[in-house]
Amino acid sequence: MCEDCGCASPSHNHKVVDVNQSLLAANDALAAKNREHIEELGAVAINLISSPGSGKTTLLEKTIERLGKELRIGVIEGDIETERDAERIRAKGVPVVQLTTGGACHLDAALVHKGIHALEDQLDDKKLDLLFIENVGNLVCPATFYLGEHQRVVMISVPEGPDKPAKYPKAFIGSQVFMISKTDLLPYFDFSSEMAIKDALQLNPKLLVMSLSATTGDGFDRWLDYLRALCR
Amino acid sequence: MHEISLVQGLLRQLAELAREHQVKAISKVRVEVGPLSGIVIDSFQFGFDVLSAEQELTREALLEIVTPPIHYKCCFCGHVCLSSEGVPGSCPECSHTLLVPEGGDGLILLQVEMV
Ligand SMILES: Nc1nc2c(ncn2[C@@H]2O[C@H](COP(=O)(O)OP(=O)(O)OP(=O)(O)O)[C@@H](O)[C@H]2O)c(=O)[nH]1
Ligand SMILES: [Mg+2]
Ligand SMILES: [Zn+2]
Ligand SMILES: [Zn+2]
Ligand SMILES: [Zn+2]
Ligand SMILES: [Zn+2]
Repeated sequence: MCEDCGCASPSHNHKVVDVNQSLLAANDALAAKNREHIEELGAVAINLISSPGSGKTTLLEKTIERLGKELRIGVIEGDIETERDAERIRAKGVPVVQLTTGGACHLDAALVHKGIHALEDQLDDKKLDLLFIENVGNLVCPATFYLGEHQRVVMISVPEGPDKPAKYPKAFIGSQVFMISKTDLLPYFDFSSEMAIKDALQLNPKLLVMSLSATTGDGFDRWLDYLRALCR
Repeated sequence: MHEISLVQGLLRQLAELAREHQVKAISKVRVEVGPLSGIVIDSFQFGFDVLSAEQELTREALLEIVTPPIHYKCCFCGHVCLSSEGVPGSCPECSHTLLVPEGGDGLILLQVEMV
């Protein structure tokens, strides 16, 4: 046994190095570059995170309908497969890039870096006010990867149930906005907004809480005012 | 399964360290995984076992995962307490019930042993 450290190696020719570096250091360094790039375009970026089907793309469609004339909006869509979400956004007449992860359950800074360049190529004057990044539908994995966004919005829809903040804490800890979507369905589901909000604020008291329905338009004014204020 | 992406990133970090210190093998890797990091430790361990075996540098490497307790801060009196079993029901100092986690979501490569 070696005397220095008690290891089993008789010769003790090993080296112990204290690294103390985040496993995400490489991702975060790239994300910081993304942020610079986004700011050169003059944009504020929002990373939108939710489970599959909570209504991310629908929210973006309605937001573009209401705000598209006022602000220059661009979208980066993240999905495991298909161009479908990008086609829906393109139909609204704004620049959009589809990133397909080919299996990965989240976007990372390297992929988004490619997305920003591809989006920039579509801009005539290289200017944008608002960049939405729709993450892969997943409430767990995307929360770990900073993409260079200014604001992170975590969304749960009424049918998913109010226990999501307690079950998926990381997504709520790292976000600035907590959005409850599909509020038109409240009469049909046993969804306690109070419980969802209380659990979310317990994890992160700084969260800005909003709720809306893309179907009825309820709650949209507040969301749009929040976006306008970001771009000012 | 973003655990796999994280393991891939870790192996790149290890390769860089090995180059920097001019060693041929890594014997032990200690990683801190915060309880609020959203990482499934078994998946991370599994990913490490599979991927580390694929290359000479890490074939013999042992992964040690450390999970620190979480600090909870009372929003009322500022008292900080430690808990590894979720959020405490109330503050031990003032019995207020709003306690908020501080940190606990770290993913950190702490230490590497090389031979
Ligand atoms: N009732 C109701 N349905 C909605 C609302 N918003 C979206 N939906 C429906 O929810 C379904 C999923 O909506 P999407 O916008 O595609 O959801 P998504 O989060 O983008 O899904 P992924 O990209 O696959 O993760 C669609 O059938 C929408 O019509 C809403 O406010 N109310
Ligand atoms: Mg979508
Ligand atoms: Zn030794
Ligand atoms: Zn670039
Ligand atoms: Zn995953
Ligand atoms: Zn207290």
